Amino acid sequence: MSTDLETPLPTKFDVSDFDPRARRARSIRRLLLGTIALVAVLGLPWWVYPPIAVDIAAWALFAISVDLLLGFVGALSFGHAAFWGVSAYSAGLIAQNFGLPFPVAIVGGAIAAMIIAVPIGYLAVRRSGIYFAMVTLAFAQMIWFVANQWKDVTGGENGLQGVPKSFFGIELIETEAFYFYYVVVILIVAGAWLAWRIVNSPFGRVLVAIRDNSARTRALGYDVEKYKLIAFVLSAGIAGVAGGVFAISHGFVSLQELDWTTSGKVVLMTVLGGMGTLWGGPVGAAVIVLLEDRLATSGFDGIGIITGSIFILCVLLFRRGIWGTAKNLIDRARAGYAKRRS
Amino acid sequence: MTTTRSGLVTVTGFAASALMLAGCAGGPPPAPESDLSNDKVVIGLLNDQSGVYKDLSGPNSKVAIEMAIEDYLAEYGDQAVVTEDQIEIVMADTQNKPDVANTQAQQMYDRSNADVILDVPASSAALAVAEVANQKKKLHINISAATTELTGAACNPYTFHWAYNTQMLAKGAAGVVEDGGETWSLVYPDYAFGQDMVKSFTAAVEDAGGTVNEAIATPFPNDNFSTFITRAASTDPDVIGTMAAGGDLINFVKQFNQSGVRDQAQLAVGLMFITDIHSLGVDEFSGTTFTDAWYWNYDEQNREFADRFLDLTDTRPSFAHAANYSAAYQYLDAIQRAGTDDADAIIEELEGLKVDDVFLRNGEIRAGDHSVVHDSYVAKVKDAADVEEDWDYEEITATIPAEDAFPDVNPNCSM
Amino acid sequence: MDAFLQYTVQGLAAGGFYALAALGLAVIFGALGVVNFAHGSFYMLGAVASAVLLDVLGIQFWAALVIVPILMFIFGIIIELLLVQWLLKLDILYNFLLTFGLSLVLVDLVKRQYGVSGLPYELPAGLGGLLQIGSVEVPSYQLFVFLFALAVCLVVWFVLSKTRVGMIVRAATEEPERARALGINVSAWVTPVFGFGVALAGLAGVLAAPFRAITATMGTNFIIILFAIVVIGGLGSVLGAVVAGFLVGLVEAYGQGYAGTFSQVLIFVLMAVVIAVRPAGLFGRKEAV
Repeated sequence: MSTDLETPLPTKFDVSDFDPRARRARSIRRLLLGTIALVAVLGLPWWVYPPIAVDIAAWALFAISVDLLLGFVGALSFGHAAFWGVSAYSAGLIAQNFGLPFPVAIVGGAIAAMIIAVPIGYLAVRRSGIYFAMVTLAFAQMIWFVANQWKDVTGGENGLQGVPKSFFGIELIETEAFYFYYVVVILIVAGAWLAWRIVNSPFGRVLVAIRDNSARTRALGYDVEKYKLIAFVLSAGIAGVAGGVFAISHGFVSLQELDWTTSGKVVLMTVLGGMGTLWGGPVGAAVIVLLEDRLATSGFDGIGIITGSIFILCVLLFRRGIWGTAKNLIDRARAGYAKRRS
Repeated sequence: MTTTRSGLVTVTGFAASALMLAGCAGGPPPAPESDLSNDKVVIGLLNDQSGVYKDLSGPNSKVAIEMAIEDYLAEYGDQAVVTEDQIEIVMADTQNKPDVANTQAQQMYDRSNADVILDVPASSAALAVAEVANQKKKLHINISAATTELTGAACNPYTFHWAYNTQMLAKGAAGVVEDGGETWSLVYPDYAFGQDMVKSFTAAVEDAGGTVNEAIATPFPNDNFSTFITRAASTDPDVIGTMAAGGDLINFVKQFNQSGVRDQAQLAVGLMFITDIHSLGVDEFSGTTFTDAWYWNYDEQNREFADRFLDLTDTRPSFAHAANYSAAYQYLDAIQRAGTDDADAIIEELEGLKVDDVFLRNGEIRAGDHSVVHDSYVAKVKDAADVEEDWDYEEITATIPAEDAFPDVNPNCSM
Repeated sequence: MDAFLQYTVQGLAAGGFYALAALGLAVIFGALGVVNFAHGSFYMLGAVASAVLLDVLGIQFWAALVIVPILMFIFGIIIELLLVQWLLKLDILYNFLLTFGLSLVLVDLVKRQYGVSGLPYELPAGLGGLLQIGSVEVPSYQLFVFLFALAVCLVVWFVLSKTRVGMIVRAATEEPERARALGINVSAWVTPVFGFGVALAGLAGVLAAPFRAITATMGTNFIIILFAIVVIGGLGSVLGAVVAGFLVGLVEAYGQGYAGTFSQVLIFVLMAVVIAVRPAGLFGRKEAV
């Protein structure tokens, strides 16, 4: 069906790969970007209310996990809330019942998310394109039903309340969101780094090949389903880290974490930021989280009208998203500059 | 309203001095002295302004709180320890999402310096905000959430539960049994709220001498109840009780009315608000019994309040609006007596307080679990022919005395 | 046995809503290659429109059954021309995302305009009460919904399979490449077919109005079930959508009757089984998607 795929991605092989001068320019650019990213990550809780900073960080990693599938496998998961939510509940339960430090609980949650991703992924990867989106959505909804009814474990619609933030008894981190942020951001950055490694590995190249032409990749002898399943489970694990952080930060877990609107929200962030860019997701996450926070106290009661309209405009006019569009503009300006110089 | 500043001396001393002053005062203090944090009282209103609870409470609760402020200032005149300029209302929308409620509550306490947060519908959100209040040692007075957890295992010294809970909602069942509705079938959504409700209802029916034939679980959310209604009617009960709420309740009632079961069994609803009757029309609900925490057309005092509210909002108040008014007024009144907005001093003022106002009849703020007990009502929805004006939907068939509506201090609560 | 028959009628009535809406979804997917996320919102708009027409203009149910689908048809055409058509040449995901955004906007617009508590609607005259079939009594309205939905599905099937217009649309729906090869101007049919699919969702909404809560969010769970239905039936298969619609309605009713709260999970279990055994769906062709 998707023969007319418009690829919003830069081609993987750039002529500049072989030009030493361009290479140097690229490493400078990377250094610059890295510095900006570092400043953004470290400075965030200084500029915004720290609990919101943690929210942004969690959603950012969640968006990265979705982009890993959407941008690099070409598979839109509309049920990623399942992994975010399952991890949130698992991390919450681990923290509550075993009194373990929260990073352990979060990793435990991520593992739970990966386990649940195996059967869902096994069924979902058998279908590509739009089927994949609908199947993941339906299974996530099924998990929502289970969580809602399994009151003894999840607390039902009361939520899982009173999740502790234990961290070796260091009170500053356990009680102050500002310091808490600097601990969890390590987990977030580790998750993002993992996603980056996956994309830039031989494994990632195979994924992109599957996205661009799965029949050819299969003909080359790759087990397409297996690759997609592994990517799906890894993505679920990364979403799980994000969900665990979110749960611990808020100190409770609610059914909202498993709701399909949560899946929709993260897709919105990913597309708004720019799919296939990996770093667009965090930009989209920051925009949406800050917007929702602002709207909560604005007295305007139609948040869906604003986010929905932004989303429609983005899909119609700026399919590369914020990050992709900005990158495109910079690239064009640079190309123009280089042309003038020569 | 004009406020005279002359009588006001703002003392920026220790909280203790104000406490002592309040403690020693035998009568009203001769000159109002106050010790207000940030030199003002900030009332936070945190509720659902865009989701299903918008009509029940929502932005109109701000109007109710403004009315409370007006009445407080009128009551004390230049003796008021808080002047008009010193009272501020901050408002935020939970979007009916618990994580938003949680973050907004933190911001209200931290950044807007809210001294108290009112309302907070939906039990997951309410429990989360109660936890924040406890951590920040600031007050939370919950109005619109129904869970008994707030005054049970999750109770804390900084949280009060003002209006109603799932146990109280079941008390109306006793009135139905006494009227001859002896055998019941219950249909409940299979999630925490529904499970709590079915337990409370079964107990209430059996205590009153009735029997519950069966309790049928349904999925949640659900838009097709026909099968369950057929099953519930199969044991030929006098009363079918549904614990569905919100949109699911409307689904249930529509399908109940079409099923023909309406002619053989009476309908009792676990959780219903006057806004539900208003939106679906009185015809669909007529004859239905439910427990109400307050009704605007119950007596002269309520009506007067409702008329004022109508002038300001073009709608009649729900019990949640009246409860928001009551909570805000009693909070300010406690500040008046304590001379400070310090949370611990206010708690001391409120605990054990016996109080009557437009919402609280025979009210008592119970010290043991911070449940605010008051008279409640068995309401029956009128026939369309008996409705005299908009919102005139309920006939109060019985009053449930406060001590029956909220019988015991919740044993699971330890402060 | 009586209970079983009652559940069957109830399941077929619920299936009627699903079949109509899924049929619309399938037709749109076929002709445009668009999986319409906003389909649940169009269903909701159909119900809200009926309630508003009754309230403001006093237009009754029977008239609404005709007027609302026409209005929804026009609305669908506007949406297609304004938004959907620009993305038709791109990957299918873009229109999926676009219609997702559209559903967010529609739901909140309705919420702001008509409140959150739902709108009243009266049961049409003559359809209240019960009907005696053998030894069981069933609500007349449910029987009506089933028969009406079935009739509409049959008419649509007849039009699609026996008329020239239908042949063209069906060719464009099920075999767009071949239709193009045969010189049929597929694109000329795209806009009205989209409008037609939206009208079917709207029609399901009108039927739901007397029976279900009319709220802005009534379509949000509905669309997820619809997706499960088209996955079970096979995307792009008109017959599959209708059969799976009724099938899911029955599974839901029997589930509610005999398995209680797990009835909604059953639908997804059914979907999982179908994917595992027949990945293309019950009536889907392998090459589709």
